[in-house]
Amino acid sequence: MLFPTIQFAIFFPIVLGLSWALMPRPRLWKPFILIASYIFYASASWRFCFLLAGVTLGNQLAAVLLHRTEDERHRRLIVATAVALDLGVLGIFKYYSFFVQQWTNVLGHVGLGSPVPLLTIALPVGISFFTFQAISYVVDVKRRQVEPAGMLDFAVYLSFFPHLVAGPIVRAREFLPQLAKPRNPNRVAVGSGLSLIALGVVKKVVLADFLARALVDPVFAVPQAYGAPDVLLAAYGYTAQIYCDFSGYTDMAIGLALLLGYVFPQNFRSPYRATGFRDFWRRWHMTLSRFLRDDLYIPLGGSRGGRLLTYRNLMITMMLGGLWHGAAWPFVLWGAFHGLGLVTEHALGGRLKLPGWLRWLVTFHLIVFGWILFRSTSLDAFDTFLSRLTVPGAATLWTAPVLAAILVVIGLQLLPPRPLERLQARVECLRPAVLGSGLAVVIAFAGATVSSQGVPPFIYFRF
Amino acid sequence: MTEPRDDSLMNRFDRFGLRRFRARDAVTSVLLAAALLVLFEGHSVLKAGDQMNPGPGRSLVLAVGRPSSWIAGRLPLASVAHTATAWLNPEPNLSGPGGFSNGGALAGSGQIPPVSPAAFAPETIGEKPPARQALHTLLVTGDSMSQPLDSDLAQRLVGGGTRVIQDPHIGTGISTTFVVDWGKLSVAQVKAYHPQAIVVFIGANDGFPMPGPSSHEVPCCNAEWAAIYAGRVRQIANTYRQAGAAHVYWLTLPTPREAARARIARVVNAAITVGTEPWASQVRVIDTVPIFTPGFVYRDSMDIGGTQTIVRQADGIHLNEAGSSLLATTVLETLKQHFTY
Repeated sequence: MLFPTIQFAIFFPIVLGLSWALMPRPRLWKPFILIASYIFYASASWRFCFLLAGVTLGNQLAAVLLHRTEDERHRRLIVATAVALDLGVLGIFKYYSFFVQQWTNVLGHVGLGSPVPLLTIALPVGISFFTFQAISYVVDVKRRQVEPAGMLDFAVYLSFFPHLVAGPIVRAREFLPQLAKPRNPNRVAVGSGLSLIALGVVKKVVLADFLARALVDPVFAVPQAYGAPDVLLAAYGYTAQIYCDFSGYTDMAIGLALLLGYVFPQNFRSPYRATGFRDFWRRWHMTLSRFLRDDLYIPLGGSRGGRLLTYRNLMITMMLGGLWHGAAWPFVLWGAFHGLGLVTEHALGGRLKLPGWLRWLVTFHLIVFGWILFRSTSLDAFDTFLSRLTVPGAATLWTAPVLAAILVVIGLQLLPPRPLERLQARVECLRPAVLGSGLAVVIAFAGATVSSQGVPPFIYFRF
Repeated sequence: MTEPRDDSLMNRFDRFGLRRFRARDAVTSVLLAAALLVLFEGHSVLKAGDQMNPGPGRSLVLAVGRPSSWIAGRLPLASVAHTATAWLNPEPNLSGPGGFSNGGALAGSGQIPPVSPAAFAPETIGEKPPARQALHTLLVTGDSMSQPLDSDLAQRLVGGGTRVIQDPHIGTGISTTFVVDWGKLSVAQVKAYHPQAIVVFIGANDGFPMPGPSSHEVPCCNAEWAAIYAGRVRQIANTYRQAGAAHVYWLTLPTPREAARARIARVVNAAITVGTEPWASQVRVIDTVPIFTPGFVYRDSMDIGGTQTIVRQADGIHLNEAGSSLLATTVLETLKQHFTY
């Protein structure tokens, strides 16, 4: 069940009404929202509800055991076991085919057969997100940053439907305190919620899907058929598309949670304003960045072990971050590319003085280059795409709507944030009836741009 | 429990008085939006329900969609909304001819159908095949099955001067006219592109009931359903072959993993074979079953060039890059019988 679908448009008002009706009675509200979230998840595949329940039980058991154990060695063992189980689940469902295929290829070169079967395993939607949240919970309990939640609270935290399938990755210590007592029905950010949902619909359905259809998909499918102007535009187009697609989903997720009374962390902050790689990762998929920082980079040693170890830790973190996005070499190399960017910045340490606009220009184009790698289905496809950047040709796809869409998406991020924030706040303070009507108009117009094929899945659903 | 560090701006909605609304406002504004959408777009709800696979989700959407459509039909607001938003529709206009008629028109007329010379591929009667033509325009179409085969074919042909038109219609099917009527779509495609060769790969979304001879719904997948499906395949194939001016290459479905889908795929494949029979010299069926799933037995991987390789996507329906690449080679070999490229 995608957010911008009729099914969800029926599901959500029912859940919203019942949720606020039951909110004063947590004993009823928690089972209710848990069931609603599992129904939401089951609409993709009911079988994977058992997996979600299994991950919930396993990690809750680990958290309870951690809480009862004072022996640091035992605590480390419990965390290691829980994390290994979570990563094992992720490994089997997400990476099995990839690694076994690579292994089989290597064995094939030396004339040996594969000892393990080559299988494709259906990827449970959202597995990368809920396993990471489970890991973050257990690690937070280990660090004594949160106490183990009740079983029901933890199950709600992990399965809460607004963030279940594509984030944002909400920390236990951000969400569990909100579950501790009923949300205040007199302090709800209704305007912000409705505005974010409308904005998310526009970003995803109008901008991202349009750019994919009119520019990005055709060029990335057969770059050989296009000359440099179209290929270059497709690179910028994908830069705009992936931002709109993912931040559009996040906006909707945050907006839906707000209407239910819950706040999620911010996940994007004008990422194409960044003037460096470190700056970019403070603005792009911020909840993943901080997970990688807190639960991978720092445990690896962070920057505590000297220059070379810092570089090693950065590279490992970013390459695993790349692999998290998908089981394919382009993702790993994309991560390595960003790792190299971070290492270079670290090595330069501010010694290279460039004007702000030049730093932005260089960073932005390096990010665009990275997105070409990210979008390519294979390294050969990446190579072909790059080679077409030097082949002259006609600008067949440079239409006014395509250019306008790219300029709006990237240009708006470059404007000063304060006036935009104030303008947004003024809209969000409008009367709910006005905003409700506005949402209907936005959905009707956005719906008219949808082809008979329906709304394509969000890019991050694959991850 | 420690207080959360606000490094993710958890307090950002506490500014500008954004939290001054009540829960009741949230519920009423969402219900207002839903009510307006029913008034203006009520038909869309019913249409969405029709497109869904059978199950509780579909029943729920239809339960909401029927009264929504009824209400929208009695008010002029839906046509106002349609007029206001029609210019945004990315779909081609399929108001032209060629739509599917009821199965009754195709089935059981009692006459002996005529047999034309086009029913005989030259090699089956020991004749020399006609001289090969240069391939200028190839249309690759179908549902999601046609991806990434279409890109693969385009990548291999683009250097040789062949224009490859990729026209996938994801989520559509021959039995699902409420999404796209492939009878009309095929006419529009021929009119727009005049392709010399057409590769068709469709059927993954099929299995929906179709109207039978007396307009009653015929459920999948008995012989009556197969006959109606074959009739539709025949109509599309006849359009694509352009009275013998073009060659059509119709791909059957490799057996899917799930048993229920495998049953539908088998019937779809049988219907494709029957539907294309009258023009065997112009409409070739490329049977993917022996290649990917010999004996209708699903498999994830197979031997390609001496290495076991995964050829299916995780959904157990579609081919992955390696599988599509293998199929593209087969399609190009078949194309070579009629074209140079």
